[in-house]
Amino acid sequence: MIKTLKEIVHSQNEHLEIRDHKRFSTVIQFKNGVLKKGERKTLAGAGIRALVDGCWGFVATSETDEENLRRSAGEAIKAAREASQLKKEKIKGLGTGEVGQGTFNLYQKKADEPEFGEKVNALQKAEAKIRDAGNDIIGSMVNYHVFQDSKVIVSSSGAEAEINDQKSEIAIVAFGASGEKQEMGMVSHGITGGWSDLFSRNHLDEMVEKAVEIVRTKLKAGYAPGGNYTVILDPQLVGVLAHEAIGHTVEADFVLSGSVVADKIGEKVASDLITLVDDGTQEGAGKVLVDDEGTVNKPTVIIENGVLKNYLHSRETAHMFSTEARGNARAFTYRDEPLIRMTNTFIQPGKDRLEDMIKGIEDGFLLVGMDQGGQADATGEFMFGVQEGYRIKNGEIKEPVKGINISGQAFEVLKSADALSQEFNMDLGSGYCGKKQPAKADAGGPYLRCKVMIGGQQGKGEQNE
Amino acid sequence: MSNKDIYLEALEIGKKAGADHVEVFFNRKKSLEVVIEKNDLQVPKGDRYQGIGVRVLKDGKMGFASSNILTRESIEATVQSAIDIAVNSPEDPAQGIPEPSPLEEIDGIYDPQGENVSLADLITKGSDFMDASRGIDSRVTVDTASFKAEIIERAIANSRGIRAEERKTKFENSAIGFAREGEDISSFVVEYTVTPEWKELNTEEMGVRLREKALGNLGAERIPGFKGSVVLSPFAAVNLLLFPIVFAINADNVQNGISPWREKMGGKVASDIFSISDDGTLPGEIGSRMFDREGIAPKPLQVINEGKLISWLHNYYTASKAGEVPTGHASGGDQSLPAIGPNNFIVSPGKDSLENMLKNIDRGLLVTRYSGGSDPVSGDFSGVVKGGYFIEKGKERKPVKEVMIAGNIYRLLHQVIGLSSETQRILNFRTPYIALDGVSITGR
Repeated sequence: MIKTLKEIVHSQNEHLEIRDHKRFSTVIQFKNGVLKKGERKTLAGAGIRALVDGCWGFVATSETDEENLRRSAGEAIKAAREASQLKKEKIKGLGTGEVGQGTFNLYQKKADEPEFGEKVNALQKAEAKIRDAGNDIIGSMVNYHVFQDSKVIVSSSGAEAEINDQKSEIAIVAFGASGEKQEMGMVSHGITGGWSDLFSRNHLDEMVEKAVEIVRTKLKAGYAPGGNYTVILDPQLVGVLAHEAIGHTVEADFVLSGSVVADKIGEKVASDLITLVDDGTQEGAGKVLVDDEGTVNKPTVIIENGVLKNYLHSRETAHMFSTEARGNARAFTYRDEPLIRMTNTFIQPGKDRLEDMIKGIEDGFLLVGMDQGGQADATGEFMFGVQEGYRIKNGEIKEPVKGINISGQAFEVLKSADALSQEFNMDLGSGYCGKKQPAKADAGGPYLRCKVMIGGQQGKGEQNE
Repeated sequence: MSNKDIYLEALEIGKKAGADHVEVFFNRKKSLEVVIEKNDLQVPKGDRYQGIGVRVLKDGKMGFASSNILTRESIEATVQSAIDIAVNSPEDPAQGIPEPSPLEEIDGIYDPQGENVSLADLITKGSDFMDASRGIDSRVTVDTASFKAEIIERAIANSRGIRAEERKTKFENSAIGFAREGEDISSFVVEYTVTPEWKELNTEEMGVRLREKALGNLGAERIPGFKGSVVLSPFAAVNLLLFPIVFAINADNVQNGISPWREKMGGKVASDIFSISDDGTLPGEIGSRMFDREGIAPKPLQVINEGKLISWLHNYYTASKAGEVPTGHASGGDQSLPAIGPNNFIVSPGKDSLENMLKNIDRGLLVTRYSGGSDPVSGDFSGVVKGGYFIEKGKERKPVKEVMIAGNIYRLLHQVIGLSSETQRILNFRTPYIALDGVSITGR
């Protein structure tokens, strides 16, 4: 395959990138004792991108014989040429960056990867265990997904890379009821690697127990009163903040459209304690060694000791900012064109102990894990759902609260940070980052003490008839 | 190979390989898309896709596999994969595939003009949009806009004798933008249009609306919290209210015990003025289709009538389990098993215009976009209002920021106090502006 792609790329005078991408995925989902999904999917094809007269053109095709590839390359070139007549800001060049050459394996193929039937059995047992937890548990779901990617990327910039990747993820959900009240508890995890890697941190049974514990806590919990509070965010929420509210604003395409950090390189944007990094070479669900433009991934320090240092780039934006590309241009399937994306994004741990951080709060909350829903704007303003909340009064953890949403301006929140724990974790769960196309991303950090606005259900008592 | 050759071949391979029943769903799609980012034309895209999804039943067990490599070899491997999965799966007696039933073609869902639409046409649509938005006022930034044309061919064949094919066109435009004046940045505002007819596409009008929304949001102020009325735009209503309703009436969620309305059939779930229908047979509507993901004709349904819950949405599996007739709501494509979803989900409009509705509001909030969670299981929601306007005594309207609303959707449905006569199509939903009473609004 690589030979054919090289021939096509080098036969053109225009800049051309061809990405042949085969994906095999397996989905297993149990819901309330029933196998809802047992699926095996093949999605394969080639994405071809051409740069002509300062404009891109992109064509995807599921037929990858040489003739079709040549035809599609021609179509991509034609599309770019047509569009360039109307494009105002022409692309003046592509940035440099180390090109990937050779074979890149993101995971170790292991002999202990269970067969489909064995996985079905294990997940079926786990799902049954949720329902067996008690009469208060009224529903259950286990969702497992693994995909294996093999890619060949050849570009006019010199990339000649073969990439083998595997991402696995699991989500466990318990639905509980008490009287009229219903709640949901979810535990999820995603990694680069196979089945045994997925459960190396927490065993499947432990995840089941945790999901049941969360739903029971929520059933007992009351609503939090809204207002501004000092809180401790757990590593997952810190990850969500780092990725969702900060990370997107430093993606160079967002910067160019006027995000809140445009022209702020070198400025103080967060407390001295904050160092924020994007690094695809770390272990995590967002691991990337070579991106979909064929650039080798290298760590990018976004914020160093509170000072904004770098944005995240594709080759196109790297050229505009006179810097080098560091492997953040990613495409989800062959049908997608590369976009600037994060990989593993995290805040570096600090020197504090979690218990001391709690002791320092007179009236606030410990917030753990994200719930459904969350969003952030180019302004850095964000709103995230929180799965578990606990009141902190006079330095002690008190009763659980539920239905919490936190909001604020991310950089203001990071300026208010006054303590970071030594403990560190990177685990964004089983989710995907969405920016026109999905991407597997991971994020994390230490426990972080800061000020946020809690949008609780004010006057909830009166509102219930 | 023609479409028919492909799916009939897959069907034959399945039967020969020893499956008790086989269902093949075929999808071919040609799409063109022009994208604008940062106020400028970006990557024009072309995509030719075809793929099959194969569902098999063997000894009461089901398996599914899909592939978009459609050589004979690959089709054989896909069918074999589905059988392997079935053999390794637990038995489920409710699994099955439907028998043929009468199907009727639907008018106005395929526009032959779609075949001639080129990337150059979409580029023109995009530049009309830009001229009408940023072209008129440079404070407006079009963050992302997409102009998309699709020709979709769907086909289904199963071993019980279902054979059906259909062609559809879909023209979909969406845009996200904001306005910036010095340090003052508006919320992200959204515009959206979808239609099966090429000539219905007016991107100039979309551009005007986006510009007005973004500029109208400049100078937003904070307000103190209060409890009052909230008027949801169609866009906000779909996100906040209709998605949870779709969750609650999905028969699969009912049977799984997670629908909050599982005990409410025939009972009151909303205020008297609130009615919803679902009709996949309407000519010219985006969610209309001759057959669903399993080959069944969509049945027009009254879902909620004057506040009373009338029907669930079923696919073949949930209908068999409940001993009911499938309603033609199996959703999905070739890459996954049939799920359940609405066809054209329509909230009945009211008599008052939006303007009159707003005039009657003493103290409240107009929400053009809602950003946040709404948990469909409990119905609890709390999120940020984007592009919100504070309304006092029906007249004074000022843009607000950092305002959150919270409550419980299923309770709020009993507090619907108004529906506008204007409606808007968002995805396969059509809804008026919806006014709700007694919502808790948090400011700061």
